[in-house]
Amino acid sequence: MGGKMKKEAGVFFDARVYSPEAVKLAAAVFSGRLDISLKRTARGITATFGGAAERAAELGGAFANEALNQQCRMDLERKNSRLARIVLTKALLSATQRHAG
Amino acid sequence: MIQNAPKVKAGKQTLAAVPPHFYWQRLGGRVLLTNDAGCSSWLDEKDFRLLLKGGLKEGHPAFAGLAEGGFIRTRLDFNALALKNKRKEAHLQIGPGLHIFVTTLRCNHKCLYCQSGAISQASKGADMSWPTARRSVDFAFESPNRGITIEFQGGEPLLNWGTLEKTVRYARKKGRETGRELGLAVVSNFSLMTEEKAAFLIANEVSVCASLDGPEDLHNNNRKYAEGSSYKQTVKWLKYFRKKSDNQEGEKRVFRPSALLTVTRYSLGRHKEIIDEYAALGMDFIFIRPLAPIGYAKNLWGKIGYSASEFVRFYRDSLDYIFELNSKGTAIKEKMAVMMLKKIVRQDDPMFVDLRCPCGAGIGQLAYDHNGDIYTCDEGRMLAWEGDELFKAGNVFKSKYSEVMLSPAVKACAAASNLEMQPVCFRCVYKPFCGVCPVYNYEAQGSLWGSMPSNERCATLKGIFETVFLALRDKKKGAVLRSWVEK
Amino acid sequence: MEKAAKILVDTRKYPTETVRYAGYSLSGEAYVFLSPAGKKKILVELAPKALARGGAGGLRDKFLSELEDENGREAVLKANLELREFMLLKALSYQEKAPELKDSGLSHEQEKELDALIAQVESELKKESKKAYSRDPLGITRTWEERHDSKRAKSKSR
Repeated sequence: MGGKMKKEAGVFFDARVYSPEAVKLAAAVFSGRLDISLKRTARGITATFGGAAERAAELGGAFANEALNQQCRMDLERKNSRLARIVLTKALLSATQRHAG
Repeated sequence: MIQNAPKVKAGKQTLAAVPPHFYWQRLGGRVLLTNDAGCSSWLDEKDFRLLLKGGLKEGHPAFAGLAEGGFIRTRLDFNALALKNKRKEAHLQIGPGLHIFVTTLRCNHKCLYCQSGAISQASKGADMSWPTARRSVDFAFESPNRGITIEFQGGEPLLNWGTLEKTVRYARKKGRETGRELGLAVVSNFSLMTEEKAAFLIANEVSVCASLDGPEDLHNNNRKYAEGSSYKQTVKWLKYFRKKSDNQEGEKRVFRPSALLTVTRYSLGRHKEIIDEYAALGMDFIFIRPLAPIGYAKNLWGKIGYSASEFVRFYRDSLDYIFELNSKGTAIKEKMAVMMLKKIVRQDDPMFVDLRCPCGAGIGQLAYDHNGDIYTCDEGRMLAWEGDELFKAGNVFKSKYSEVMLSPAVKACAAASNLEMQPVCFRCVYKPFCGVCPVYNYEAQGSLWGSMPSNERCATLKGIFETVFLALRDKKKGAVLRSWVEK
Repeated sequence: MEKAAKILVDTRKYPTETVRYAGYSLSGEAYVFLSPAGKKKILVELAPKALARGGAGGLRDKFLSELEDENGREAVLKANLELREFMLLKALSYQEKAPELKDSGLSHEQEKELDALIAQVESELKKESKKAYSRDPLGITRTWEERHDSKRAKSKSR
């Protein structure tokens, strides 16, 4: 079972629902605010949080939400990266041309 | 008939029946539809489900309107839709047009919500030197944008009048020599304005802008000025420049002064007084701007901040009051609504760097710090003042223009604010008209991408869009809104 | 943490990506936990945040509604991937036409005939003005010598 709160302050992310990359990105987002350690197994990743135990549930929930945020971004990238790159390239290209004068 | 379109595989439905790509949301008992071209339409739930299934046929009462808006696959006018999309997203074709010159960090005010990192008037080493300003002008003119706007900010820019004056002259000269369209603006608290300075600004077609937060007690509470009433100075000079504009002679353009409102917790519940203040001064616009938890405001958020829903309620009440004033003959418009309406009603680009995809950070605007450092935007510069240089793009003396445009800061902001890659925005009915702010996301949520379901800026904008779209549906309010953007 | 709403979703009807997004869309009001429940099901657990309205029931309804909407969006997206790209590229590269000249109301043939007529009249006017220059009944263009040389020749001969 995954995406579950464990007895210590931690959450398990099942690889069938959350890619390891999404969990790692979430850890990067929280790295300045929280002491996080990730333990990877074949089934998924367990994220445990150091610090205030009383806030463990809230932190775990926030972290789970961030992992889902990153996962949804990756899902969208798979579907729409080509179009996204066209827009981005056009914007940067237009801005990069120097004025002829 | 679809002509010159790519061949698409047919799924379970016949292809002709599938609607082209569009966005939708249930709102006020109906369903709002929008698309990439910026067209919008309303359907009731039953007709919406019919459209989604491909069952809305010619002859249906809604068919013609939907076809005209680009919501019917077999009636797509590719040229018309392409033109609308291109015009609405004109910023994608040009480079940075807005160049913010922070000519000094010194200030003689202590505003509660300051986002410029202002320091005391007596501080040393916080002014932009003339060589730096000149080089910054040269750098700004390297932008491919036909129109360049240099906006002097601070701190209080009038505290570094010498550099400001020289920069205005130099920029005007350069504008004439190169044939570029040049706009100049000063954002000031007006406390140091004199007739001599005003005459210079007018003679050089420099427009002026000041913060006006409402009646005297409210304004002064937000904007502390040790030497007197900030409100009195602001109003005095707004009236002065307004009179000059109304009585202009000669060939030089004298712009009407503009004012900015920053809504704090103290503003909530006082919308009528605030709007009356603007109306009494004959202001054409009131720009109801929400506060962002950046800069000093972040530290004081508990005291001066509010939730998105609180702000949206304030906005809605304000807009209703503005409608009331319009109906009585007071022609005042709300600026955020006007910018949104330009996209929604006219499919035009208002060139508002905060509401575009990608956002204007770097590619639409640049902020030049007093020491020549270049940032993606003024908010990004503020973060550097607090010790985080993530949004620094270069330096006017050390960096080439192309290096700045392709700097990690600019590229990261462009990528992070690309709505095609934001999970919620990609599906949002307001996507054709909206934009995200990577600096806000970073400050409030810890990453450039942010997470929109819990993003207060997103909730605020959704609330404003909802207000505007619902008002457009109302016969009277809609007529007022459309009149604001009529050509 | 109390996970007030628990919903079992059949991934044969709603693909995993759809379930993920539907859950994610509620992450402003709830903490969202997803886990596989058997081969073809996902368990969605929603723990409301402090400010969430509507409680567990409200969250559940919103989730189910979002699930349906997301399915609809996926269908529209899949059917329009290439068309959307075509339209975007067209918009980015669109060249606006120069404004057309005002219509004179004449057909092309009529315009050609008019041009020829104008050319003919201009040519006749030029000829007329040249002839006008060569006729001089009052002798204005004659010089003094031309006028008086003949008289001198007569007096010399006497």
